[in-house]
This record gives sequence, structure tokens and C-alpha cells, in this order.
Amino acid sequence: MSANPMPNGDATPSADPALRADPAPGTDPAPGGDPAPSGDEILRLEGLEVHFPVRGGLLDAILKRPRGVVRAVDGIDLTLRRGEVLGLVGESGSGKTTTGRVVVKLTRQTAGRMSLDGKDVSDLWGSRALRDYRRRVQLIFQDPYETLNPKHTIREFVMEPLLVNGIGTPAERESRVVDALEAAGLRPARDFAGRYPHELSGGQRQRVVIAGALVMGPQVIVADEPVSMLDVSIRTELLRLMLDLRAERDLTYLFITHDLSLAWVIADRIAVMYLGKIMEIGPAEQVIRAPHNPYTQALVSVSPTPEPPTMGERAKRTILVGETPDAANVPVGCRFNPRCPYVFDRCRVEEPPLFDVGGGQSAACWLAEGGRELPVLPPRPGTVPA
Amino acid sequence: MAGQVALARPGGARRFVGAGSLLRAVLRRPEGLIGVIILTFFALLAIAPELFVGPLQTAVTAKGPRLSPPIEGFPLGTDHLRRDMINLTVHGARVSMVIGLLATVITVLVGAVVGIVSGFAGGRLDGFLMRITDFFLVIPTFVLALILTPILRDLVGSGSREVFGIRMTLVVIVVVIGITSWSSTARIIRSQTLSLKERAFVDRARVIGAGGGHIMRRHILPNVINLIVANAVIVFAGAVLTETFLSFVGLGDPLQPSWGQLLESARAIGAPGLGAWWYFVPPSACIVLVVLAFTLVGSALDDQLNPKRRERR
Amino acid sequence: MTVASRRQSLPKLADPSAPLLVVEDLKTHFSLGAETVHAVDGISFTLNHGEALGIAGESGCGKTTTALSLIRLLPSNASIVDGSVRLYGIDLVTKSANALRRYRWREVSIVFQGAMNALNPVHRLRDQIVEPLTERLGMSEKEARKRAGELLELVGIPKKRGGAYPHELSGGMRQRAMIAMALACDPAIVIGDEPTTALDVMIQAQILALLEDLRHKLGLSLILITHDLSVIAETCDRVLIMYAGRVAEEGTVDEVFRRPRHPYTQKLLAAFPNIRADRRTLDVIPGSPPDLRHPPPGCRFAPRCPFAMEVCTEVVPPEVTFGQVRVACHLYPPGSDGVQVTTAPPNAIGATVPLVEPPPAEPPLEVAGG
Repeated sequence: MSANPMPNGDATPSADPALRADPAPGTDPAPGGDPAPSGDEILRLEGLEVHFPVRGGLLDAILKRPRGVVRAVDGIDLTLRRGEVLGLVGESGSGKTTTGRVVVKLTRQTAGRMSLDGKDVSDLWGSRALRDYRRRVQLIFQDPYETLNPKHTIREFVMEPLLVNGIGTPAERESRVVDALEAAGLRPARDFAGRYPHELSGGQRQRVVIAGALVMGPQVIVADEPVSMLDVSIRTELLRLMLDLRAERDLTYLFITHDLSLAWVIADRIAVMYLGKIMEIGPAEQVIRAPHNPYTQALVSVSPTPEPPTMGERAKRTILVGETPDAANVPVGCRFNPRCPYVFDRCRVEEPPLFDVGGGQSAACWLAEGGRELPVLPPRPGTVPA
Repeated sequence: MAGQVALARPGGARRFVGAGSLLRAVLRRPEGLIGVIILTFFALLAIAPELFVGPLQTAVTAKGPRLSPPIEGFPLGTDHLRRDMINLTVHGARVSMVIGLLATVITVLVGAVVGIVSGFAGGRLDGFLMRITDFFLVIPTFVLALILTPILRDLVGSGSREVFGIRMTLVVIVVVIGITSWSSTARIIRSQTLSLKERAFVDRARVIGAGGGHIMRRHILPNVINLIVANAVIVFAGAVLTETFLSFVGLGDPLQPSWGQLLESARAIGAPGLGAWWYFVPPSACIVLVVLAFTLVGSALDDQLNPKRRERR
Repeated sequence: MTVASRRQSLPKLADPSAPLLVVEDLKTHFSLGAETVHAVDGISFTLNHGEALGIAGESGCGKTTTALSLIRLLPSNASIVDGSVRLYGIDLVTKSANALRRYRWREVSIVFQGAMNALNPVHRLRDQIVEPLTERLGMSEKEARKRAGELLELVGIPKKRGGAYPHELSGGMRQRAMIAMALACDPAIVIGDEPTTALDVMIQAQILALLEDLRHKLGLSLILITHDLSVIAETCDRVLIMYAGRVAEEGTVDEVFRRPRHPYTQKLLAAFPNIRADRRTLDVIPGSPPDLRHPPPGCRFAPRCPFAMEVCTEVVPPEVTFGQVRVACHLYPPGSDGVQVTTAPPNAIGATVPLVEPPPAEPPLEVAGG
């Protein structure tokens, strides 16, 4: 892994392959679980719910049957600490994307409160306050091929937030656009500014998306699967860019992904979601190495690695049976209970809260009450499809 | 993620970011080329008919023999008022084409605005606008036109005010065609808007704080413009036909004969029975050619807008 | 049917002593107007009975084109210009399209990514499985329905769900249905083209476990095409690493993953996050794969290779075999000992592409499917 001299004198990529050179600020685990000392927190979600009504048919209306509700996000408490990367991990149907959309106010919550920097921002649907919120909280989208309007130049894309919000004079806007493009690694900016999206590669397009998110100088960035549509060899550059930007610009990331391995590499803390609730949250090392929630444990055990597994490792896999149920039919009690290899009676009746298990980690599981560790189970017949 | 390499020609329709390239793309197809040539020919005739055949002949200024077949000096014969058929046909181009153009502008403007607003806004506004659209869509065009035209003409009176060189009586026809045609345009544009609304770049515009107006103008409109143009071509053809029909049933203006009006006059004096083919064949041929040309251009445009249809590179 | 009974229904021309599948110097090119894309430019490999071979590489490396070339499901502007594909010793490349039908689905079938694209939305699941049984094997409707039920159970779909339409099933169920369809005519080889890429990690684990199970139960051979090296590490016996239409490295999964020789393999492996590793690091490969309309001379990876030498930019490296592994790299010339090289040689000129390239003169080739 040698340093590559750049012909145009750009900064050499670091020879150190470590993605995370410094421990992120604020990772000292606070005692008592998730609520951080308020000076340290930048975004807080409390009791957040997003329920969508299922449209009933005519028959339902006539028979006065209750319509179903899709409980996409079903009551979560989350605190983002200043400067951290919080990995929000979950499979499809977990509610992670919806949570991200609520944070950037693309989707409205049906219950619960949000606060940014201590100030309540739950209901901002008037113009001035909302505009201010959007300047401070931005989104990096998943699909670099779809996020850019094919008819607009790169300059128009990055300039748009400034125009829409009436920020700066034309000269100031131009210089902010150049600054954002170069911060995203697209140097010299003028070579890229006049191009159209179809002229750029996937990695370059995603850098443009990042520039677009940076141009208003946000404090919090929600990144929804920002690298999942890129080739593996390009992902690292983008991730490294995001971490560099965090340091340079005092950013905080809510990093949404379905890939636990990716969260492992980039996140300071990891929160695991299942069917609209947080199952476990804590420092990444602890959540991955010592999960206290059976769902987390199962996810970790089946996450593939580029090392061929030994027979012993294969045997320890917990491959769950069946699939995540519909968010319109959330199981009673602990929502994971139908698939849980450790299930017992209480799980089927009562939903567990998040229990503090020490070191800043909490898990929603009756087994975690009192800080117990998950027992080691031999693979049961019911955990692998016949 | 890393999926199949389709290895199609990159960029496709997105490369054509301007009207110029759209035109060039149409000209590349043989049917597009033929269509554009025909339309250019008629457009020239329509813009400056006097250049080609002098001023419109009237019963007073006409010099030819009465209802004569093609002879020396009158290659397409004369009508019953001793007017040269070529003169009439060329001037008819202007009337028919200008009416068609104006009607298309109205139709497309109203249709696009309703389509975009309705599709984007959704909810009750969409429902309300679509019910109105459906109403106009369902009523047969020609029947509605027949009903509306006399009403509007009474409103307007039969003075000799002119708009774009067209008398008010014909402006009425323009308005009527607009009223009867906008709804299908609206439906088509709304459909496209509905699918555009779900795309990621619209979400992104929302996230940075853009309002509905900005999104419709800067994101929806540029991506439906190609569809609007393609639709306009068809609407134009339809407008010419509708005008022909209205003139043929006597709602036109004999003082500014369009092709349809010429056909009406031909019918009125019994030209078919008399065997005076030179009276109705030239206007008919022109109508067919123009509509055909629009269809050809429309077909070439469709190929450009639909990358899957393109087979030859 | 067991492996033994399958031998009874071998194609007439089959040579029972030949390896199951031998691909030699396969070249498939696409024509785009005046230009030719050298998508697959000389691939060779062997697949033995009961083996699982993974073909890995990033988008545009030619792995999917290779798979489609095996059963000639190529688009109209693509053609196999050279090489052979021998199934039981029978060269499929020389067969006419009609003759190839005997082999497609009955000997070699394929499971695509995103089953929704391959399943007909207006037909019930059961009917879609019955179709190849009645069409290809000439079974009666009754027999076919019985067998379809068996196949569904085999892949973990309850028989009674056979009456469902594709949109009524979840992603994981649909992928299982695709596998059932692929197994309908009891093929010898199943090709999986990114079969689990769009699925959640738990479903992916289920599907991979299912494929493993079926492999042993039915004596199936598997070719798994994917960009995800982790999936190959979990499921395959051997792996072929492709880059820009050519073989970079090939060998047993154990050897290639634990002692990668080719610099591309080394960097690619290091680019995958490893949840069981101590250091949370990821490697970077500067630049992007070459445009296959104008591939660079010499080794195609040279512009991005940290160990590149002068010779790499001029001469195509030959493929050399060292025991369990085959490598095409000038660091391992013929006659050398084949020991893994992990540091730059003294005469290295290194990678020549910048980390962020300037916008290209021509638009890049677009990859369908993201």
C-alpha cells in the first residue's frame, strides 16, 4: 500500500489503511445507558413513531372493520452525540430508512418529539424555522444515478440549496459551490461544474451528492446507504472522505445501512433496529463482540467475511427461520419472539424495554435484565431451514 | 449493485439536453427527415403566401375562367368564382396552419399546467382537476366543438378584428379546439409527473427546502418537456383536422378560406357531382400530407424518447 | 435423482470420463456501432462434478457475460468470437441455437439476481415451474404438478403456496422459487448470477445454506457469480478472480483467500469489511476499471496497481500455475517459486491513476442494474 504521487500535486492518500485514525470524540461510554449529558448531544429523538394507515377497501368501510396500521417506526429513543458516527443498522422493514427520513423532515412523525441542539424541532411546518432546520440537517442519498437530475449540470445541483434558501450573493454562492466540490474531492472544481451527471462515474456522482449536502454548512448529515450502490473498491474512498469531512467540518453522522460489517468499520456506536424498534445500542466494539440481544447476535453470526470460515465457525451460525414479519402485523410481546432461539413465556406477552448492560450499551431483551449475558447455544434443529 | 453490464449506448435521451439536438435526432431518421421537409415546405407557404402567389384572390380580383380544369396559366384550375386554385390553396395553408399552431399552443399550455399541477399536488386538488379533465375527455370532440362554436361566435360578434392575421371568427375555432383537446394532454402529462414525483432527485429537492413551485418548474418540467413536444405534434395534426371538420360543416369563414373551407365551398357548389376534381383534390391532398408529416415526425420523436425502441445505432 | 441416476440421462454425445465443464480461452465481444467492447477476453477454467466455483470481480469485469456465454443467453450485439465451452466434452460454442436448447435448462440452468425480473407476474408460481417440466421433459400435466410441488418443498416453500403470484411473495421466497425453477429439469450445473445480492443478510444466509444443502443432496455443481468475496468465501470450493475481462487469479478458496498473490486480489480482499477482524480498516484501490472499448496494453490492472513495473504496462502477463493456484501477474513469472508477494518490488513504478480522476472525455459505459 504505497503512497501514490499525484501528478497535479493533490494531497497524497494516507498510506495508513486504517479508516479510523482517531477515536471519535465523545465515545467515552456514559453511565446509565443512552441518555448523554446534554452538552454533548446534538440531536435527540424521543418516543418517535411513524404509523401509516393501510387503506381499507370498500368492504372494510361498509363493515366498519378497523383498518390496519403499518407501524414503520414504533417508538424509538435515540440520541446523536456531537461528532459521532452512529450506525443505524437493520434489514428491510426495520424502519431505519423511515427514521432517517423523519430526521431530515421528508416524512412526518405521527408521535414523539425531536430536538436539535437542545431546542424542540418536532413541529416546524412553517417556513422560517424549517428552512433554518434544513440548513443544519442534510441527507446523502443512496443512489448516485437517481439523485442527480439528468437535465441539470453539477453546478446547478450544488447551487440549488443556496438558491432555494436565498443564501448569499451570486459571487458568494459560486465560491461556496467551488468550496463544496473541492471538499468532496472533485478538483479542480471548474472541470466538473459544467458537466452533466451522465458524464461522470458512479463514485464521482456520489461525491457530487456529498458536495450538495455540504454546501449549506450542516451540522448533522443523515447518510442513507451512501455506498451500497458503488463498487467495493470505490467505497473506501467515499467512506474515508466522509470521515475526513467529519473532522474538518465538525459533522455528526447518522449512518443508515443494512450491512453490519460496514457499520463495524465506520461507526462509533451502533443501533440495531428490528420491526420499528431499537433492539440494541452501544459502542460498536461492544455491540459486535458482546451482543446482548439475540437478534443482534444472529446478525453478527451470519454476516459473511472475506475469510473462509472454519467448520467450527460454520457451526456457530444462528440462521433464523422465516422472514421479518410485516410491519402491519407486529407480534405481541417482544416483536422478535417468533424467531428467537432463546424465547420463553414472558417474551410472548410483554415487550422488553432497553436495559442498560454497562459500558454505554443497552439491549431490549428480557435476558438482558440485570445485565446477564446471552447463554451460548448449540445450533438447534429449528434454526436452520431443513 | 454490480449487475449485468448492459453495454447500451450511454447517455441515451439524456444527452439531448436542448431543442437543437432533439431536432437533429429527428432528422437522423428517414421518416423524421421526410416529415420535417414536408412541414417546412408548408410552413414557408403559410408564413408568406403572398411571396409565392400574390394576395388572396377574391371574386372581384379573380381573372380566370369559371370552374375551369387545369389549363395554361392555371395549373390547378379555377373555382366557381374564377379564382386560381393554387392561390386559394396556398393561402389556405396559412389559415389552416396558423389555426393549428395557435390551437396547439393553447391546448398544450393548459394541458401541461393542469397535468403537472394535478400530478404533483395529488390529493383533493388532483381529484378535482381530474374530474374536470375526465368530463372534457369523455365528451366527443366534434360534438362539443359543434355546440361551442356558435355560442362563442355570438359572444364575439362577427366584426373584422384580426389576431395574428386571423379574423375573430376563426379565433373562435382556435379556442374551441383548445377547449376540446387539452384534456388528453393533461392526462398524459399527469401520468409522467406521477412517476417523476417519486424519483430521488425530487426527494432531494425537498430535503434542501425547495417548495412545490420550484420543484415543478426546475425538476418536473424539464423532464416532461420531451413528452410535451411529442404530444404537441399529435395535437397539431388533430387541430388541423378539427378545423377542417368545423369549416366543412359551415362554421368556418369564407373570407379567409382554409382548406376545410375550400372543401365546404366545393361541396356547396356540387363540385364532386360536376367532376370538378381540381376544386377538392388539392386541399384534401394538402391536409393528408400535413397530417402525415406530423405523424412521421411524431414517430421519429417517439424513437428518440424511448431508448428501448432504438435498434439501429 | 441422485448423481448416479443422472448419469443415465446424459446427452448422447457426452463423454463420461471428461470433466463436467471445461472453458478454454473464451472470448465474447459486444459491438456498439463502430466500436467493439472486449468484455470477456480469454477466460479459461474447469468445473468438476459436485464442485462450487465462485467467479468474482467488480462491475464490468465480464463475469456475468461469461456466465451468459456458457448457455448463450447473450444480447443480440454480443457474440462469442473465440474459445470453447465443453460440457461433458461436448463443445457448446459450435452448436447451433436449436441444438443448444437441449442443454439449456436440462444440463445448465441459471438463477438471476432480482427474481422479480425473471418471474412472470401474471402466472402462478406452480405454473411457472410446471412449464419447463412439460415443455422440456415432456411430462404430463399431472406428473409435472406433482414434481413442482416436490421442488417447492425442496427449496423450503410450503406446497400450498404454489398457487401464489410472485408479487404475493417476499424477496426471499421469490428467490427460492427461482431456485426451484432452475432445478426443475434436474440440471448438472446451476449458475447463480448475484443470487443473493439484493437480499437481507439473514435471508442471504438462508439461501446460501439452502444452496449448500441442495448441492450435497442432489450432487449439484454450482457456479456462483458475485462481486461479494465474502459470499464466495462462505460457499465455494474454488474461486476465479476476474478483472477487465481476464483471469487475475484462480484456485482453491483456502489458498486464494488466505494467501492472495495477485495484487488485485490482495487489494480487493482488503476492501471488504471484516466483522471478525480486530482492525477496522479498509483498503483503497485508486481509479476505476478500464474502458473495455480501448483496453490498456499489457496488464489491464497496471494503471491501478501499487506494485506495477515497467513490463506490466507493455506485456500481457502469462497465466502460470503453482500447485493449487493460477496467477496472471509479472510478479510471478514462469519458473519462479510462486511465493506470495506482499510488498512492492524494487523496480516498481506504482499506480499511475489519481484518486479522483478528472471527468472522462467519453462518457463511461453504463452498467445496468446499478
